[in-house]
Amino acid sequence: MEERERKSVKPDSKQSALSEPEPIPEADKLNVCSEKFDPLLALYSPAAPPLPFPNIKCFNNVAEYESFLKGGRGRAKPENVEKRQRKAMKGVADPERIERLKKLMVNNPVSESEVGESSGAAARRSRRRQKPQKNVLTRMSLCKGSPLGELHRCVEERIRVRVHIRTFKGLRGVCSGFVVAFDKFWNMAMVDVDETYREPLLGEALYHEKALTISRLFEKLSLQESLGCSEPIKKQETREKSSEGQSANPKPAPMSCSAWPANTREDSRTAEPKLSKDAESKADKGNVSAKAQDPAARQKTYGKVHTRHINQLFIRGENVILVNPQPL
Amino acid sequence: MESEAADSAPSCAIVNSIRERTIAENSMVVLLQGLQGEEVTVDLRNECTARGRVVNVDAFMNVRLEDVRYQDRRGQSTQLQDLFITGRNVRYVHIPDHVNIMKTIQNQLAKIHRVRNFASEGGSRKEFAKKMK
Repeated sequence: MEERERKSVKPDSKQSALSEPEPIPEADKLNVCSEKFDPLLALYSPAAPPLPFPNIKCFNNVAEYESFLKGGRGRAKPENVEKRQRKAMKGVADPERIERLKKLMVNNPVSESEVGESSGAAARRSRRRQKPQKNVLTRMSLCKGSPLGELHRCVEERIRVRVHIRTFKGLRGVCSGFVVAFDKFWNMAMVDVDETYREPLLGEALYHEKALTISRLFEKLSLQESLGCSEPIKKQETREKSSEGQSANPKPAPMSCSAWPANTREDSRTAEPKLSKDAESKADKGNVSAKAQDPAARQKTYGKVHTRHINQLFIRGENVILVNPQPL
Repeated sequence: MESEAADSAPSCAIVNSIRERTIAENSMVVLLQGLQGEEVTVDLRNECTARGRVVNVDAFMNVRLEDVRYQDRRGQSTQLQDLFITGRNVRYVHIPDHVNIMKTIQNQLAKIHRVRNFASEGGSRKEFAKKMK
């Protein structure tokens, strides 16, 4: 009862209690502000006791009142409000925090947005140094003693290499250039590339043609060039036929290297041009020339050897047959 | 996701998946990823060529190109707005002359390194992808 009086005591209510003239004893007993307040009577009276002033807060028991005084759950005390705000701002980068972290930075790298990593990175870099970083560039030098190590040597010593490229079946052509970077899949980045290639034949010819080899490739190339130079086709025909009978070898391009069946990677080195000896290969050339006599359209699209120069090329390792370092 | 300075290329330079990042980091795909935004010619396994601007290259060498001129092996040309090439079908990628191969690889590796360090220290979550270009 005393607590209730204390709680509800306000200047207004005090005044109203004082200013009130002689209250009826009954009412007096029901008046919560008076000394003669009888709570038992108030509880059992039919009407609720008059409240001293309008928006008074009613509690069901003393404990409730007590917790209200303490501040209770959900009550918007200033410290609660602050706590809630802090929680809401948790993910957002606090500029003050960023400033503090910046001061911790040992080195002074790039930009503000990387503050999180830079401060930590500086501290951890010394710890991490025990474990060296492995990436494609470091792995290039790890391959010592293996065929890839040999390729790495070509990269370091800037040796010109010839890369045999494959088509779905057999040899497509050769890329001659310098390797800048490679990886374990034999993907290669090359510069100053001269590619000599022949697009695969279509249809029946595919079954009947003999497997393309490097020597044949360059023979075809030189043949093409010679065909292009001379005017009348008939002359070529006679020349081809005459050469077919003999075992005379045409002059292939001087750079031809190991033939198709060679399996050893990178160990083969050829000094001299390898010349084809079979009569069959002559017949093959004869076929080429025969095709050349056909209408011009077919001559243009069919089984021609092309050469092109590409400054910087990336080759997917899947298409690599072998890599052949060229002797200086 | 935060993004650094606005750039014309819409795609993110570093992928979100840690698996793809590791695969890319240990192979030459990083060179191709560094070519994003450049105009390149891709020679395919089927003897066709596609010339266009690189939008995106993932760890498996799948390439997405924009504004592509796709040329058949017969020489027939088609203009395409968007072309996706499976990694396995790539034979060559012609790199533009102005691109420095070593620098591109090193830049890409540095970006991956930054993302990885940021993820392990800066935030509370392990996997945090940072989009940047």
